[in-house]
Amino acid sequence: MSAIAGTASRGQARRRRIDGWRWSGRIFLVFILLYTALPMIWMLITSIKSGFAAMQFPPQWWPDQPTLASYQKLLDPQNSVGQDFLRFFWNSLFVSTATTILSVIVAVPAAYAFSRFTFPGRNFLFFAVLLRNMFPAVIFLVPLFILMRAIGLVNTHGSLILTYLTFGLPLAIWLLKGFYDNIPVQLEQAARIDGATRFQAFVLIVMPLSAPGIIATAIYSFIGAWNEYIYAYTFLSKNEQLTLPVGIQRFFSENTTDFPGLMAASFMMSVPVVVLFLVLQRYFVRALTEGAVKH
Amino acid sequence: MAHVVLKDLVKTYGSFKAVNNVSLTVNDGEFVALVGPSGCGKTTTLNLVAGLIPITSGDIVIGDRVVNDLDPKDRDIAMVFQNYALYPQKSVYKNLAFPLQMRRLPKEEIDRKVREAARVLDMTELLERKPRELSGGQQQRVALGRALVRDPSVFLMDEPLSNLDAKLRVQMRSEIKRFHQDLKATIIYVTHDQLEAVTMADRMAVMNGGYLQQYDSPAQVFAHPVNMFVASFVGSPAMSLVPLEASTANGKSVLTSAEGWSLELSPHNAQKVAKAKTRKIVLGARHSTIKLHKSAVPGSIPAKAYTVEPTGDVTFVQAFLSGALVNISMPPTIAVAPDEQIWLEFDQERMHLFDGETEMALKAH
Amino acid sequence: MTILTGKAEAHRRLQSDKSGMLRKIWSHRADYAYVLPAIVVMLIVIAYPVYYTIELSFFNTPPGLQLRDKIFTGLDNYTAILKSPVFWKVTSNTLIWTLASTLIAFVLGFACALALHRDFAGRGILRAILIIPWVISAVAASYIWKWIYHSDFGIIGAVLVGLGLADRPPNFIDSVSTVLPSLIVVNIWREFPFAMIMMMAGLQTVPDQLLRAAKVDGANAWQRFCHVTFPHLRNVSTVTILLLAVANFNSFIIPWIMTGGGPSNASHIWITHIYELAFGRQRWGVASAYSVLLFMIVMSLGYFYVRALSGNERKDGSV
Ligand SMILES: Nc1ncnc2c1ncn2[C@@H]1O[C@H](COP(=O)(O)OP(=O)(O)OP(=O)(O)O)[C@@H](O)[C@H]1O
Ligand SMILES: [Mg+2]
Repeated sequence: MSAIAGTASRGQARRRRIDGWRWSGRIFLVFILLYTALPMIWMLITSIKSGFAAMQFPPQWWPDQPTLASYQKLLDPQNSVGQDFLRFFWNSLFVSTATTILSVIVAVPAAYAFSRFTFPGRNFLFFAVLLRNMFPAVIFLVPLFILMRAIGLVNTHGSLILTYLTFGLPLAIWLLKGFYDNIPVQLEQAARIDGATRFQAFVLIVMPLSAPGIIATAIYSFIGAWNEYIYAYTFLSKNEQLTLPVGIQRFFSENTTDFPGLMAASFMMSVPVVVLFLVLQRYFVRALTEGAVKH
Repeated sequence: MAHVVLKDLVKTYGSFKAVNNVSLTVNDGEFVALVGPSGCGKTTTLNLVAGLIPITSGDIVIGDRVVNDLDPKDRDIAMVFQNYALYPQKSVYKNLAFPLQMRRLPKEEIDRKVREAARVLDMTELLERKPRELSGGQQQRVALGRALVRDPSVFLMDEPLSNLDAKLRVQMRSEIKRFHQDLKATIIYVTHDQLEAVTMADRMAVMNGGYLQQYDSPAQVFAHPVNMFVASFVGSPAMSLVPLEASTANGKSVLTSAEGWSLELSPHNAQKVAKAKTRKIVLGARHSTIKLHKSAVPGSIPAKAYTVEPTGDVTFVQAFLSGALVNISMPPTIAVAPDEQIWLEFDQERMHLFDGETEMALKAH
Repeated sequence: MTILTGKAEAHRRLQSDKSGMLRKIWSHRADYAYVLPAIVVMLIVIAYPVYYTIELSFFNTPPGLQLRDKIFTGLDNYTAILKSPVFWKVTSNTLIWTLASTLIAFVLGFACALALHRDFAGRGILRAILIIPWVISAVAASYIWKWIYHSDFGIIGAVLVGLGLADRPPNFIDSVSTVLPSLIVVNIWREFPFAMIMMMAGLQTVPDQLLRAAKVDGANAWQRFCHVTFPHLRNVSTVTILLLAVANFNSFIIPWIMTGGGPSNASHIWITHIYELAFGRQRWGVASAYSVLLFMIVMSLGYFYVRALSGNERKDGSV
């Protein structure tokens, strides 16, 4: 009897301890959620204020007269602000998409080769590629600027695409290599015996299996290119070529007090990448788990 | 169906020779087992035949074509892999259909052949499943089915049963054998399990360290191993090998042990020993050719029982002789206790003698 | 049969003609085709700039990028840097910035990963929300926080005044003493999700069996964490911390947009300082010398990074 009571109370004690962990976890999550979300909420609230309503102390927690005027202004192709914003948006989209496509085209075969073939210098080259994301952007800024000038790419989107390619590549190659390492080589061999060429075996068997890795790679390249600032800021000077981050900065340095407009622009700049990421995030986590972390 | 010829096949990785001058011929419709310990180059040999890795030198003939530079897809072979290599994203049906799609067969014919193969292998109800939803035995059958749908001229199988449990392995063993008999297929079958080779193959090729050691029927390999490696690799429990010294006593040829005892040889065996270039001789004996006595009889050798393992039908006794562990089998009716003094009598007719230096079997002429 | 031997003979002769390494490389020529595009891009965009930066760091360059007129000055640029008081200010800022951002972001991210590991209603949504700051552009983040810190209309100032904790809204980013911590808060806001994703991925690889075995052995939650979970995550943690450290060491956008390094260099870190030297004051030689120093520091971090990664490689067993 006493033995049973003993185990029961021990069981309860254990449950209470676990609950302690669980509750501290919950409280922590609430705090971190506030830290994460409040700035974004404040951005949204500000963006639907009028310029006058934003500049008040104490601030209006919720605008007296919510208005979408800032958004309308940014998206209206009739006025000059809207024209600029839409052009920046379009430029960003073009540069990011081109970067993404090229990254995948370059990273997939490279990662595959690093995973499958043993050629002399393989390890050296692999780590040389990985080292790229150790270098600060600024180191490359001056020489690349001069290089781009020499090959006539300054003030073109080509200069950005070429540069962005190298940001995405190391992680892309690393992630994808992890994927290919986990795909048994026998699958390809089986396909080749079943009548596929090397290329068919890759496209029909290996590619589908590494799809999460490819998707993750693509997201990463896209987001990296979409958000990049320092090269775009240095390489581009013509207004009609600017990408969003630089364009918005230019816009704001001319309109220093239009906080609702700025917040609306920040919001709209974030929408594409956030949506893209949220839709595809499970691939991203899976890619990290299977490609990079698990070994 | 077709025959396969390997001629002086060599595969090197850097300076390491994974396959070393292997030559052998597999006749049309023959079932040949490639056996050897782990890492001896079996898979490499098979991959060379399949064309999955480039050969360093030598030639491979399938049918009447030299296929050295042909792509795997053009060699008219099918292969079953050790881990099955089923396409994980495809259903069983699509796995079976893939080789036919690659050969651009019409849809109806693909469907007919896939269903036929599924019927033969008794897995019609599995067709819509994904490989991960199958048991090991079922996966194995799908892998076999994928090889079968194409009716190729040669089947290559790389340890297809090694991932199965013992019972399923015995069952699949007879299924593959049956399949060979029905199709009269040419099969090269890789295994590290000598029992599989002995029970299934028409001929077995024993490999070690990249070299082909012996290529003969299982019965011949069992009865006349060419060297100590083959002798100890084929047969279970392994043949006992006792290192001894050849000498003459009273005009008779004997083998003496460092332990002091000596064994008189029959004239036939004495002749073999006389031909040897060295005095170091290794005596080989299978468990069933050694007789155990509980008291000294003429020609027997004293030993101490080390372990006693009754298995029901027979009891295995192990004893140390000249520092080597010797296996003896005996009827369960005789009772022996560990550490008991016993006497061993060797069957001179079925005894093997090896050159202690070259490790090759000694011959009488 | 003679045809066969003839062919094999030719094969062998072909091989013995070329010497070891070259032959090896030659025999793998097809493999290089796969990595060539990646390598070419990397060479153009990395090798050349690195070489160029090192070269430039030994020259005095006149403004306007007329680099033909550059004058060789040996190590002058380097000694000038080490003598300048700004260098030490910027270096200490960089250290504080990197260490604080990295450690706090890692701890927060790891804690989130642990708290989100167990399934509960709304976990997916919560995780998605927590990741957003990492996804949005640092430019947007900088503006959002600049607005939040605004000295007249900022929401934090208003809350502090409203709660009676301050008489008037504090000048978060216009004051020398608060600017760096304020920027670090922004940086962490953007970076902890990365640590969270990495550690979440890592947590998924902790074998359940091991945890169950530890439970059977009587380990409590904390002990299980210390003896099973954490050791298993050591490699991921190292890689994550190093990646964060490098990213922080190299960060630019947040200080650049929010303060431009001010007030009076209080929020200048290496990169913003280099950028200002190069593109603001056109002192390319000095900026390059700074870059070379930075490069050496980053390379030593890179050494550990590669070691951590190749630790993965070895365990993975793939050749
Ligand atoms: N790609 C490679 N590079 C270098 N060495 C290799 C390579 N592939 C195989 N080897 C080596 O060649 C030898 C033979 O390998 P193989 O795979 O043929 O062995 P196996 O007989 O099939 O063994 P197991 O029974 O374990 O499958 C081994 O020592 C192996 O280490
Ligand atoms: Mg093998």
